[in-house]
Amino acid sequence: MKTTHSNFYRHFGTRLFLLVMAIFVSFPLVFAFSQSLMTNQQVNRWPPPIIPLSPTLSSFYTLFTQPDLKLVLWLRNSIFAASSYTFVVLIICAPAAYAFARLHFPGKKALFGLLLVTVMLPSQVTLIPNFLLMKDLKFLDTFHALIWPGAANVFGVFLLRQFFMQIPRELEEAAILDGASFWGRFWYVTLPLSTNALTALGILVFLGHYNDLLWPFIVTNSIDMRTLPVGLQILNSSYAGQYRPLVLAGAVFATVPIMVFYIIFQRRIIQGVTMSGMGGR
Amino acid sequence: MSTTGRVRTSGSLNRDGIHVPVILRLRTREAIAAYIFLAPFLIFFSIFVLRAVFTAMNLSLYDWQILKPKRPFVGLANYRELLGDEVWWIAVKNTIVFTFMTVSGTTVLALSAAIAVTKPIKGHGFYRVLLYMPALLSVGVVGLTWSWLLSTQFGIINYGLSFLGLNPINWLGNAELVLPALVLTTIWWGFGFPMLIFIAGIQGIPEILYEAARIDGAVGRQLFFSITLPLLRPTMLFVTVTGVIAHFQVFGQPFIMTNGGPGRASYTVIFYLYEIAWRAFRMGYGSAVAVALAVIMAFFTIVQFKFIGQQFEY
Repeated sequence: MKTTHSNFYRHFGTRLFLLVMAIFVSFPLVFAFSQSLMTNQQVNRWPPPIIPLSPTLSSFYTLFTQPDLKLVLWLRNSIFAASSYTFVVLIICAPAAYAFARLHFPGKKALFGLLLVTVMLPSQVTLIPNFLLMKDLKFLDTFHALIWPGAANVFGVFLLRQFFMQIPRELEEAAILDGASFWGRFWYVTLPLSTNALTALGILVFLGHYNDLLWPFIVTNSIDMRTLPVGLQILNSSYAGQYRPLVLAGAVFATVPIMVFYIIFQRRIIQGVTMSGMGGR
Repeated sequence: MSTTGRVRTSGSLNRDGIHVPVILRLRTREAIAAYIFLAPFLIFFSIFVLRAVFTAMNLSLYDWQILKPKRPFVGLANYRELLGDEVWWIAVKNTIVFTFMTVSGTTVLALSAAIAVTKPIKGHGFYRVLLYMPALLSVGVVGLTWSWLLSTQFGIINYGLSFLGLNPINWLGNAELVLPALVLTTIWWGFGFPMLIFIAGIQGIPEILYEAARIDGAVGRQLFFSITLPLLRPTMLFVTVTGVIAHFQVFGQPFIMTNGGPGRASYTVIFYLYEIAWRAFRMGYGSAVAVALAVIMAFFTIVQFKFIGQQFEY
């Protein structure tokens, strides 16, 4: 009894700080959600109302019926593009990472050094050339432009290579004695032991693509090909002045899928992010 | 016994020059396998990274405009123009100020949160999950929400400040305040990642060090400054370097919240690159901007490694 009390007082400052942080983090989202349930007149008032006294779904109704706003389609585009991209990245990067982690081949050091140099370059250097290439290939305003240009994900190769190198070699040696090919060692031994790393990378790659703004903004054009972040920007620039709850409803709509995803995968997401920061450890 | 088993035995004999053909065959097979494993990655890497980087450098030497049919070689003229381009320097200055404020604010907040969350109190797991949440949002959601919080007339932030006797402040419309407002938004959005890295760093410090220090009579703050902070230096280096790289590329916040304004007070480098290439369609000059950005970022990264790295030696 006594210890819990002294413990409580010892960490009182910490508790208070965490409480303030929790409010700081969640208040903007709670406020946006709460005001998305109000009418335009209710929102444009001083003091700003926090609790919706007569909640209404009218701005959500407008959000889904306005012909120039296609949030459900944009969400579908985002999910389709991000999951295809994630799939492509995993398929391309895992074998490459295995080659760097386990196989000997001439030019390995030079090639790895080249990857290290390019990872230091800001990705925006490739923006204009890749845009012009998409234009020449007639890929603009198609899913191709959203999926292929980022497929060679150097970060993914580093992360998986680091992870593969920590798998004990003995496990593979058993497979070698059984006469397994290089592909067999990769596919039947290394990959099944790496599901954690693959999931972590998959989640990070998915979220990064799902939240990207500049590239999809540049390479898509028609209202039917926009992704959710681009759509939100359009929503904001056309309606923020006249119909604020509509804009907030859009923000809420875009937040819900991510929150559901986070609630389901919170441990994996946090592990994956930490792992990526600690160089795959 | 499989063939590979025998090959392994003969591997040791290789130094005496015996069975060399077999070894060579295995080596060659391994190299061929490695290149096949690498092939898909290398194809995409050469097209979308290597070729793109060289094309950017090449394009920056041309007067390459989408709307003009002639695209003459102009040598270093784009870079010369850049050196005298007032807007470019405004963008660079804004980006440096923004990055400096954001990275310092983020690091302090992330470290404090990490220390608080690693204390043995009830609900620390919940707090960790909650505090990381904003990092998952897209810049669209963040921008839409915060531009409303920061609104002059009906903004909840100004309402809060009115209790301190302050008149409504035009956060996003005031040239002096727009960068701090974007910094606050970005700190809220981005402190979760460094927080998780700091948590891992703190948990990696062996408990025995603290016990030894306690036996020597160290308490609270002393423990923090003599053990936690020094041992977190590599983590600190990682957090600041990745932070500078990430925030130097800021685009969405000014693009959504201010459109670079008021005037050019929130122009950033990437925003300017976007404007040159996709509003003025000057791809050659835009490429020069992109290459200059890469040079600046490489410079800052090297300086940080030198500066912080040196201090870290004991």
